[in-house]
Amino acid sequence: MPQVSTCEIQAHMEVAPDHYRLVLHAPEIAQEACAGQFCMLEVQEGLYPFLRRPMCFERIYKDSISILYKVEGEGTRLMSRLSQGQTISVQGPLGKPFPLDSDVERHILVGGGIGIAPFPSLAEAIISELGTTPEVIIAARTESMLLCEDEFRQMGCTVHLATDDGSAGVKAFASEVLRELNPGPKARAYCCGPMPMMRATHDVCQDLGITCLASLEAEMACGDGVCLGCVVEANVEIEAERMVRVCYDGPVFDSSLINWSAY
Amino acid sequence: MANLAVNIGGLKMKNPVTVGSGTFAYGQEYDRYFDISKLGAVTTKSLSLEPRAGNKPPRLVETPAGMLNAIGLQNVGIEAYLRDKAPFLREKGCTIIGNIYGKSPEDYAELAKRLDEAGAADAIEANLSCPNVHDARTARGCTLVAQVPELVQEYTRAIKAATKLPVFVKLTPNIIDIAEPALAAEEAGADGVALINTLLGIGINPETRKPILSNIVGGLSGPAIRPVAVKMVWDCAKVLKIPIIGMGGIGNASDAMQFILAGATGVAVGSCSFRQPDAAIKVVEGLNDYCERHNVENLTQLIGKLE
Repeated sequence: MPQVSTCEIQAHMEVAPDHYRLVLHAPEIAQEACAGQFCMLEVQEGLYPFLRRPMCFERIYKDSISILYKVEGEGTRLMSRLSQGQTISVQGPLGKPFPLDSDVERHILVGGGIGIAPFPSLAEAIISELGTTPEVIIAARTESMLLCEDEFRQMGCTVHLATDDGSAGVKAFASEVLRELNPGPKARAYCCGPMPMMRATHDVCQDLGITCLASLEAEMACGDGVCLGCVVEANVEIEAERMVRVCYDGPVFDSSLINWSAY
Repeated sequence: MANLAVNIGGLKMKNPVTVGSGTFAYGQEYDRYFDISKLGAVTTKSLSLEPRAGNKPPRLVETPAGMLNAIGLQNVGIEAYLRDKAPFLREKGCTIIGNIYGKSPEDYAELAKRLDEAGAADAIEANLSCPNVHDARTARGCTLVAQVPELVQEYTRAIKAATKLPVFVKLTPNIIDIAEPALAAEEAGADGVALINTLLGIGINPETRKPILSNIVGGLSGPAIRPVAVKMVWDCAKVLKIPIIGMGGIGNASDAMQFILAGATGVAVGSCSFRQPDAAIKVVEGLNDYCERHNVENLTQLIGKLE
């Protein structure tokens, strides 16, 4: 069950230009949270910003959670000013987690930019619950924006790096790296990043004949299935059921459900 | 404990607090945060005869102290409501205000009749004022039913003839004088009016030079509109005999008291539930505290008592 808790900030640090990690003491939420789920953070008291900000769990510890975010707008700009020891209101856990399937032989996590955020917790879950170690493709515009490489290596994951400008790893898109890995039919891809990157990853997975689970992002008001503001178009015959809620039906979807031509 | 009970045009509520249609779905989600049967009533998302997909995304954008939305009345439709949603609310023991939306007086009458016959609502709220659905616009062009007093009368009469349940008409603030459609509703037999629906607005992304919402225009809600809403309740209270359910940016009991003092019998918590899922029940608790602090036995004593 999701809940609203007041949580103390245990640590808050800049991990790359405009990218931050926020560690929150949130025992009740941490206990229930699963990789792929998210929480809604109240950036500050008062009416500005009016809405909470949805943030996925980067790591889920026994008594705490960590959030990895990029300063994109007003909410995240204000968030970046929060200090250790302050408290903020956290609502969660929300949404559907990544499904963990023991029939899958090769798990490949594909993160673009800040889209790497849900994958450290997913890698941990795959290792602890399925007893196998995933591979990770970390892609970004440039070297300084590559996130979490050390974390994945410490977990024993094979890491593939890709940058748009070739400053680190291969100069290629994440989806191209995935294709080059030539995963067999028993592989599964998990992707998160900008819509065009996820669309390209979905296309590659279709070609390869493997399942792709995409973790989507959308602006949302409630985070809990009520406001219907965060919907995306799905490939559903019945018109009235075509709009699916990122917050409640997702944020993790089988990528073949999403109508990528709309994005 | 102060007595918070109200009677809104025949609908008995244990306290004056309900929720804005479309900000509470059909109750199940927020029941995980608090016991929703403790509210005066639960107002459903607008129900139409057929399920609706709503508008294409993007559907919402945050604004200072509020938000713009253009959901477009996505809903499960009356049949799925009766089958899947109403039983939950009934088992919880909730008082239900069934909000309905249609394309003609006949649609509204049919919806009200079906809710009544199934025992799936205790009152009807007719949404004659959604700004986000093009089919709601009338033969006169880009007009909402609630902007034309004669149409308000026609629709209200059709609904009243179809049900014995109390009928509330939800009005739009996008009008010069909201008291006109309010009076029209009263003359046609409405048992109450609910106001305000959202104010029209546009959000533009200067970088792309494009509108943010796919619908271009959306409805503004949240604390940003509260003074406008309080003034419109005050306008209506001066001329109406039927009760008012006031809403627009209510997030706590002192917000709600502004509406009650301006003349509202009931109050609805809307967008503020998105920020604080238990906002509505906090308003109930806060109203009780207010009454105790001011030695008020019955909250109804304060309706319209602006000094």
